[in-house]
Amino acid sequence: MKTARVIYEEGGHKWIALVRDPNRPEYLIDTNEYLVIDGDDAILLDPGGNEIFPAVFSALSAEFDPRKINKLFASHQDPDIISSLSLWLEFNPQIKCHISWLWTSFVPHFGGNQDTFIPIPDGGSDITVGGQRLQTIPAHYLHSSGNFHVYDPKAKILFSGDVGAALLPPGDESLFVEDFDRHIRHAEGFHRRWMGSERAKRDWCNRVSQLDIQMMCPQHGAIYRGEQVRRFIDWFAQLEVGLVKG
Amino acid sequence: MAAVVTQDTGRELRRIVRINEEIKSVVATAFKINLMAMNAIFLAKRAGQTALGFGVLSNELRRFAMDLQKQMTALREMTYGSVATVTALVKQARLNRVLDRARKESSGLGRSIIDEFMRSRHGQAYARHREQIAALNRRLSQMIADTAQLVELGSVLARSAKIEAAYGGPFSTSLMQVSSDFERTIGEIQRSLESLSKQQD
Repeated sequence: MKTARVIYEEGGHKWIALVRDPNRPEYLIDTNEYLVIDGDDAILLDPGGNEIFPAVFSALSAEFDPRKINKLFASHQDPDIISSLSLWLEFNPQIKCHISWLWTSFVPHFGGNQDTFIPIPDGGSDITVGGQRLQTIPAHYLHSSGNFHVYDPKAKILFSGDVGAALLPPGDESLFVEDFDRHIRHAEGFHRRWMGSERAKRDWCNRVSQLDIQMMCPQHGAIYRGEQVRRFIDWFAQLEVGLVKG
Repeated sequence: MAAVVTQDTGRELRRIVRINEEIKSVVATAFKINLMAMNAIFLAKRAGQTALGFGVLSNELRRFAMDLQKQMTALREMTYGSVATVTALVKQARLNRVLDRARKESSGLGRSIIDEFMRSRHGQAYARHREQIAALNRRLSQMIADTAQLVELGSVLARSAKIEAAYGGPFSTSLMQVSSDFERTIGEIQRSLESLSKQQD
């Protein structure tokens, strides 16, 4: 079972990270899911794949009634992001999935129908959760051609999907980045290979540099906090990407 | 339990694939009989008065081949229909398996939500799919039995053609050869149908 860790809480506004499943088979990449709660409303960011649904569901239900989740956000179309869609729909057939318009006719292969998807235009849009407005931040070609991140101006948290991801060695269970220099070594190969466009990378770095970010939460690996966020953006801006060999 | 269900549904899908392959082989053989019967009709015409009976039987065998092709097309359509039902069952079984794991990993609210869910919609959907498969299988068995009867008629026609061939005068050897081919080919179809019946069992 995954662990549910509250990473931000103020009043009824909360971020919960669902992380590190010790029973996860090695052949499945480890993923982080994030639940953003505002009052009685909640959105699950990158709900994950079919195989890890039991671990996500059980960890999540320890903190929040899963039947009340009526929104999902998928940063892109990959199976480790959204192939559990049909399972969430079993519990709430009215659930809405926010995803780039590019994928709204592809992802229904995982489940859902024309009423399930709320297409996000290329420039991004807002998603309201309870009384809080979340912004979707364009991150196209990082790594998917229709890709978004989510910024919460209240919590000052950026959910950054695959950007910032690190493939941590077995045994490294830390939720937060402890030693940036050591951590970033596990992120380098991933970013060089998965991030396909220099231009898209520069655009993203410029875009997120304008935001006030206290925490950057990737879909794989540990969370960056405080000054580490700036260090990551600078590191990424300098990194040569789109390479087959690191 | 969930793993057993997944195995069952996987086996069901493989069984349908095997049935379809058997049907394809019968359809190909029926087509062969049709061509053979056409040749037999021409041969009987050449033999003239001495092969009148053989000519009538060849016409009947041709009609039999066409009826058999129609019957097999209907059978194939039915199995295609059952692929959709079995696929739904496989999907349901997969859902069962994931929910079973989620239930084991959950406690408190999570577990009670899954229990409630499985008791209501989910369990009923699974039972409904199983019932649909059972109904399809019953119809399929009936259709195979009907086809077996039709093929039995073909077998009788082939035997009669063999008898008629004996009266074929100078064409007797050729007519005998053709009627033996009919008998052997219809025998192949009978074996395929027996195999189909076994798949149903």
